[in-house]
Amino acid sequence: MTIIHHPSDATLAAFASGTLDEARGVVVAAHLALCAQCRNGVHAFEQAGGALLDDVEPAVLSAGALQRAMAALGPLDIISPAIHQDAAGDLPAPLSHYAVGPWRWIGRGVQWRPVEVASDAGVRVFMLKAAPGTKLPRHRHTGTEWTCVFEGAFTHALGRYGSGDFDEADESVEHDPVVDAEHGCVCLVALQGHIELQSWLGRLIQPFVRI
Amino acid sequence: MLRDGRAAAGNDAADWIRAIAEKEDRAAFASLFEFYAPRIKAMLMRLGAAADSAEDFAQETLLTVWRKAAYFDPARASASAWIYTIARNLRIDRLRGDNRAKLYAPYEMVEPEGPENPDSALNAAERDARVRVALKELSQEQVRVLQLSFFEGRAHGDIAALLDLPLGTVKSRVRLAMARLRNLLGDLQ
Repeated sequence: MTIIHHPSDATLAAFASGTLDEARGVVVAAHLALCAQCRNGVHAFEQAGGALLDDVEPAVLSAGALQRAMAALGPLDIISPAIHQDAAGDLPAPLSHYAVGPWRWIGRGVQWRPVEVASDAGVRVFMLKAAPGTKLPRHRHTGTEWTCVFEGAFTHALGRYGSGDFDEADESVEHDPVVDAEHGCVCLVALQGHIELQSWLGRLIQPFVRI
Repeated sequence: MLRDGRAAAGNDAADWIRAIAEKEDRAAFASLFEFYAPRIKAMLMRLGAAADSAEDFAQETLLTVWRKAAYFDPARASASAWIYTIARNLRIDRLRGDNRAKLYAPYEMVEPEGPENPDSALNAAERDARVRVALKELSQEQVRVLQLSFFEGRAHGDIAALLDLPLGTVKSRVRLAMARLRNLLGDLQ
């Protein structure tokens, strides 16, 4: 697998510092599970976090703080073998913590299944499975739309997104993705707000489309 | 900027953690506590916590460091980066009560069978040294926006208000600082 499209530095840094919301974090984690380069990137930002921690001006502790900590020391955790997070059934590893709904048809050639991730940033997480050659209607977003491809590929004006690729679209992007003619596409999406279909037909059917 | 002496303490920190893992060394814990607890408290206060809850959190972080000492692998992370990630995960668990901390498991816990990428099989010490050099190469302003944005997790709008700068300036400084950091890290990636 050759991954071409990666999350931005700002996104990797936000993930490393724990400030990214959970819903978008799930899609970033899905990419990280597939991309050694970005795992290294996150580690580098964690290293930077550690260096900044070393350099922060220390606060004054209350009297007896060390003694209280020493008194609370208990047994050490016994090291257990690394937890290999296997993909659960047909689900990628980072989704194993979440309830995932059944696949549902939402249009010609397109299936959708929700991933139950609570979000205070108005972000919904779902998987999409599109049949080979599907043309998704031209649309734009009212917020960010982050996508990690698991199988197959799609193409839009910014390039071809294959297995492992990460598409970090914000509200300025308007696109009409075309699904790979041979393999179709399965991907994980974190969508903030909703999509706005651009064609007159799209606007007509919008109220009936769940995303 | 990074002062000398702190990096030295950082190097000792790895030895302290190992001493805890190997022989439950309480003196090593005391040294680790005296260096990191005031800094973690300061970090939490910068994130908006009250002094006493920030101190409780620092206590909890250092007690977790004690319990998990055997998991520390100096080949994978420097002591400060490891402690930083423990504080991060605790903060998420404590503040959010959601599953987010588990998102870090796939790449923290899974032991790679070999170096993840043979070309960048740098040990953590080298990565740490490079990060520190890179941070020194940044201007004061760049380090400040990095601290606010990345370390303190502030929104660009907050940073603009805090530093009395236009929002566009803050955004471009964050982007530049981030790019500079990554660029200076070069083939680490």
